[in-house]
Amino acid sequence: MAASKGFFTDTTLCIGCKACEVACKQWNQLPDDGFLFSGMSYDNTVHLGGSTWRHVAFVERPVPLNTQTDGAFSWLFSSDVCKHCARAGCLESCPTGAIIRTEFGSVYVQPDVCNGCGYCIVSCPFGVINRREEDGRAWKCTLCYDRLRDDLVPACAKACPTESIQFGDLDELRAHAKERVEQLHERGMPEAYLYGASADDQPGTEGLNAFFLLVDKPEVYNLPPDPVAPAKKVKDAWLAAGAAAAGMALAAVGAVFFGGHRA
Amino acid sequence: MSTTVRYKNSVERVYTDGRDIDTEAGDLTGEAADQRASGSTDKHLKEQMQVWRQAPGPRTGDPAYYNVPMLNEPVWEWAIPTYYYVGGLTGAALVLGAASQMGDAGGRKELIRRCHWIGLIGAGISGGLLIYDLGVPSRFFNMLRVFRPTSVMNMGAWILTGAGGTAFLAVVLRGRENRFGAAGEIAGYLAGMFGAGLATYTGVLTANTAVPVWQASRRVLPILFGTSAMSSVGALFELLGGKGEERRLTKIFGTAGQIAEFAASVAMEKQASVVPRVGRPLKKGLSGFVWRAAMTLTAAGLVLGLIPKPTRRRRLAAGIAGTLGSALMRASVEHIGTASARDARASFQQQRAGYGAAEIARQPNQ
Repeated sequence: MAASKGFFTDTTLCIGCKACEVACKQWNQLPDDGFLFSGMSYDNTVHLGGSTWRHVAFVERPVPLNTQTDGAFSWLFSSDVCKHCARAGCLESCPTGAIIRTEFGSVYVQPDVCNGCGYCIVSCPFGVINRREEDGRAWKCTLCYDRLRDDLVPACAKACPTESIQFGDLDELRAHAKERVEQLHERGMPEAYLYGASADDQPGTEGLNAFFLLVDKPEVYNLPPDPVAPAKKVKDAWLAAGAAAAGMALAAVGAVFFGGHRA
Repeated sequence: MSTTVRYKNSVERVYTDGRDIDTEAGDLTGEAADQRASGSTDKHLKEQMQVWRQAPGPRTGDPAYYNVPMLNEPVWEWAIPTYYYVGGLTGAALVLGAASQMGDAGGRKELIRRCHWIGLIGAGISGGLLIYDLGVPSRFFNMLRVFRPTSVMNMGAWILTGAGGTAFLAVVLRGRENRFGAAGEIAGYLAGMFGAGLATYTGVLTANTAVPVWQASRRVLPILFGTSAMSSVGALFELLGGKGEERRLTKIFGTAGQIAEFAASVAMEKQASVVPRVGRPLKKGLSGFVWRAAMTLTAAGLVLGLIPKPTRRRRLAAGIAGTLGSALMRASVEHIGTASARDARASFQQQRAGYGAAEIARQPNQ
């Protein structure tokens, strides 16, 4: 098995050019999603979905950046993508085994197996995967599985002009990301931190194979502050189901006992 | 490959498959090349655009991203909540059938037979509804190519298959004078076990998601679904108008279910509202209205059924109220889930209040 690969998205380097979105659409030959003017800053992509596998968020903040000398406004850009969670909600919930973990550690939906049940959609704590109405199957970022097998870098990382999207072996990416955070702290941005870089950072997903460097709360980028793979809590529900089933059986036997025999 | 027209009303229409790839110059072999295009790129024109008085930038203390939902909402439409109802009815009827088999000297033969038939027909309808809702219905059997305990839906597919299969055997074999009669007897008991699973696993299925209100109610949802399944069996038998022993028996079972369903609904509101924002869809909007309507109907069915000296008309009314209450309850659970998934702040506030992954760390033995 090859070393686990992933993305490190350093949002402080993102300039909001959307080259990643275009490269992704182009390489994967994804159809358009309609041409919509959202009114939300320069973000007309709005959200990740079945045919949108990269999405650049444009955050307009009414506060200056720490390093900013004048003005009470600042931009934050962030290119969002499937996180390829170490513990992936979609993968665990898939009833057909269509969603698999690849040799690169990424999470991949096999389009020839997926039957479009829609369970992965509600199981993803990030709202990444979605079903395409037109063909009924669930789709999401593949970490360019086809390119990786040919030793190529994923299309978005290749196209990124500022190296905001970095691709590589996870160990190296993590080490590099840590250095980058320290560097930013030294340069006067103490708010910089890593989102989902390890299981300690994000126990609910046991770490993300596509992690981020952020400078504001995750909510600002539409990311959950403490996501959890739903199956981590399913034991409670199964216990309740057991109790309900037992109660039902008891009620049925009780009904026969008290309701029967008298004629 | 389908071609669609972009800028329909323009003098210069554009014919495209949504990819703008010249297939004479390049091959469509990309990962998503067989995704079909939308048919129209003008579909957004139908969507109502929000008009803001003030641009929704991140607020201090309560940030969000332009109020865009953080999660993708459930894609399940009417077929899945209907399945929750039919599957529940099927499961609970099979449980009652198995219980009635115990110590039966022949007096409950008709009731047992009815239960097994409800099980068989119900399982058939359930399967149909599930297949209908799939994005690719022809691939239904992919559900049964694996056995995956981590996937509640996969477990459900097996439980439904088991319930349908055993109900079929019970209907066909039970009561025969030959050696197959015993097999039918055993099939009836097995059907009861599968039935108990069928009536409750759907609660687990719903609870095992990232949708904040469903996740918050995970300890109640299976109980709510199970008890609602019991009351729907009681209501159905009121409608069928059984007599004597059958009537008493189903009445006790159904009434117990209705009381427990009402209690579970109250408990669910309490659990979901631990973080107030998460419980909001239960109280406000269309989802809240449907939820209240379901509770009211269940209560009405219960009261109507408990008035002494029942008339035929009153029994019908009780049966209809109970059935509607039970079915509407599943629909409302679906509704509140959708409303909850659309509210990014519900997820954010739930997780900030320590009910994300932090909740697991607080629980010992997990």
